[in-house]
Amino acid sequence: MAEVPIIRFENVTKQFDDDEPILKHVSFELERGKFYTLLGPSGCGKTTILRLIAGFIQPTSGRIYFNGRLINDVPANKRQVNTVFQDYALFPHLDVFENVAFGLRVKKLPEARVRDKVLEALRFVNLQGFERRKIHEMSGGQKQRVAIARAIVNEPEVLLLDEPLSALDLKLRTEMQYELRELQRRLGITFVFVTHDQEEALAMSDEIFVLNNGRIEQSGTPRDIYDEPINRFVADFIGESNIVPGVMLEDYLVSFGGKTFRCVDGGFHRNEPVEVVIRPEDLELVPPDRGLLTVTVESLLFRGVHYEMIGRDEEGNRWLVHSTKKAQVGETIGLDFEPEDIHIMRLGESEEEFDRRIEAYGVSTDDANA
Amino acid sequence: MIRSHARMAAFLSTVWMGLGQLYNRQWLKGLFFFLFELILVIFAREPFLRAMWGLWTLGETPQKRVGGKIVVQGDHSIFLMIEGLIALILLLLVLILYIQNIRDAYTDGRARDLGERPLSLFAAGRKLWETGYAYILLTPAFLFTLFLTVLPLLFGVLIAFTNYSGPYHLPPKSLVDWVGFKTFIDLFSLKTWSRTFWGIAGWNVIWAVLATLSTYFAGLFYAVLINAKRVKGKRIWRAIFILPWAIPQFIAILIFRNILNGQFGPLNQLLVSIGLPRIPWLSDPFWAKVSIVGVNLWFGFPYWMALMSGVLTSVDRELYEAAEVDGASPSQQFWRITVPLVMLATAPLMIMSFAFNFNNFNLIYLLTSGGPANPSYAYAGSTDILISWIYKLTLEQSQFNMASAVSILIFIVVATISIINFRRTRAFKEEDLV
Repeated sequence: MAEVPIIRFENVTKQFDDDEPILKHVSFELERGKFYTLLGPSGCGKTTILRLIAGFIQPTSGRIYFNGRLINDVPANKRQVNTVFQDYALFPHLDVFENVAFGLRVKKLPEARVRDKVLEALRFVNLQGFERRKIHEMSGGQKQRVAIARAIVNEPEVLLLDEPLSALDLKLRTEMQYELRELQRRLGITFVFVTHDQEEALAMSDEIFVLNNGRIEQSGTPRDIYDEPINRFVADFIGESNIVPGVMLEDYLVSFGGKTFRCVDGGFHRNEPVEVVIRPEDLELVPPDRGLLTVTVESLLFRGVHYEMIGRDEEGNRWLVHSTKKAQVGETIGLDFEPEDIHIMRLGESEEEFDRRIEAYGVSTDDANA
Repeated sequence: MIRSHARMAAFLSTVWMGLGQLYNRQWLKGLFFFLFELILVIFAREPFLRAMWGLWTLGETPQKRVGGKIVVQGDHSIFLMIEGLIALILLLLVLILYIQNIRDAYTDGRARDLGERPLSLFAAGRKLWETGYAYILLTPAFLFTLFLTVLPLLFGVLIAFTNYSGPYHLPPKSLVDWVGFKTFIDLFSLKTWSRTFWGIAGWNVIWAVLATLSTYFAGLFYAVLINAKRVKGKRIWRAIFILPWAIPQFIAILIFRNILNGQFGPLNQLLVSIGLPRIPWLSDPFWAKVSIVGVNLWFGFPYWMALMSGVLTSVDRELYEAAEVDGASPSQQFWRITVPLVMLATAPLMIMSFAFNFNNFNLIYLLTSGGPANPSYAYAGSTDILISWIYKLTLEQSQFNMASAVSILIFIVVATISIINFRRTRAFKEEDLV
């Protein structure tokens, strides 16, 4: 990659006092103009990364580069980064216009320029005509837009969004997901979006960083991460998964649930114990005699889009099935799936090893579909 | 069936208390009201009319002395005025009862119109106890307010419209008369009075503004300083700066009076010992004013500091981060975020502080006693404010009518400020700020 990454973390560790480090030797690069998502459970360090980029805190060790320039000691107000805060952090004593104009006034831009830019930013977030509203008169979604307008009016190269949608209700949240994605495309700047909502991450991102316990577990496109989770944590955190123990008899041949199946993963030792992931929506409900696996239904839940069934196979593995078809509790059903639906996870594999193996052996999902 | 019991009963009770109740066949209640009015008319009519006469004329017989001996006691105008006011208040209470009597007759009459039986005396009593519980509990407070607040207030206001003043109109020696607005006209048209009034009023406003602003901004300064990230030992600093507030003002002022003493005060001794001239802290009109503002600053700012510290700690830290990412430097954050937010939260209190300082009698009286003397003022010194002038007018010079007129003017100023303040406060509640 020839272009200098807009942001580069090099072995960054952040530790508060004598507590366990909140970030442990994190390294990554962010390319210009992409939509990145930092995804992870609370306390995983995703907000810490955001605050490091914003400049509110300094790394305990390691280096942070912005456009190839070391910015460890550059204060927040001198960085070309802006933030959209979770609780909006709008100034209660200023109206909408002045909130958006804040950064421009600080930079002492002439009044006419301020006016033009603020109106343009408000148009960007569909808030024309709200200039003189008081902040407390705005709804949650509107406040969020004001916060975004205030951030983009300063023309940052990187926009950081700290769980900006978590305070909104479901419908508005979905709407804002579209708008944010669209906004990022139009502005063409780098977005770094922090969330603990995996659906949000999958829907919006060019690339996702899954974080856990101060480390990046896996990074990649939403597709990669969903289809090829590197380990149990990622498989569990992103979407719902059936994770059962299995044995890799040889490359492309795996045994679990008392049976042997063809699969598309390679690069394993013979008889290596592995974990097998099959997404619940990839399991198809068929009559018992036609299924690759037979399970007894233990519970049934109507989820609206589909039925959610939990069944148990002969070996006692639990299988979560999402299907539009319905089975009765106690009924024995067959489950059918394709070799591509099986994803094998090697135990304790690092991200580099994982990538290398996938590169060498894996039939990537796109090829399989072709 | 004609539905007119209600009107009939109300009409009868209007003619004479209790008649309507008797018409409604509520014998006991009716009898009570009936006898009440009878007793009032028989026994209270004479004293009431006499009291009204007293209030109207303020007495007609002056005291007569022959050779230093009192021959005729004469009327005491001020007592007559107070008695008149008491009589008026009692009349008000009777009127309230009278109206209740009519309403009661009307309600019971209407109950009869609707074919119901009016409540028995016992049931009515119980209903009153239930529905009017709050009013019953408030009655003592109401009576106290009436006689201990409303009465003196009316009395104080009425004095302004009399010539109650030394040396010629002081009862019991001489009578006091109603003079209408003459006191006010004198205050503004007579040279000595108007010069004193405007001079004092001007200084009073300047003083209140200076006292409020100086303590306000000193408080803001210290609050911001103490809450700054780099400052260590916040609690200790806060405790130290709050000390002036903790010392009783009364004592603090008297100590300052000694410190600032021109001859023997330690401050001037210090100045002399380092080769500087003495400064007439309390005896020069200008320096006395400086001293007053300075001393007030000393024990006025801790209040604001404590208040603003609270406001500052409750300001969302994200606001500063938001300002920071927008490129604001620390000083810009201070002027564009901190100051407006603190101002917004404390402005209503600033107005109240202004009203308080406007009437800060303690400080002026205890520190300078209004001095140094000002020959061009009537009964006032250079640093007197209106309230301390009033004190001198009443307790030292017996110019009661003028004092009353001035206090009415003060009341108008302070009441205006308070009304503005309360209206703003209500507007504030909607803004769910800070």
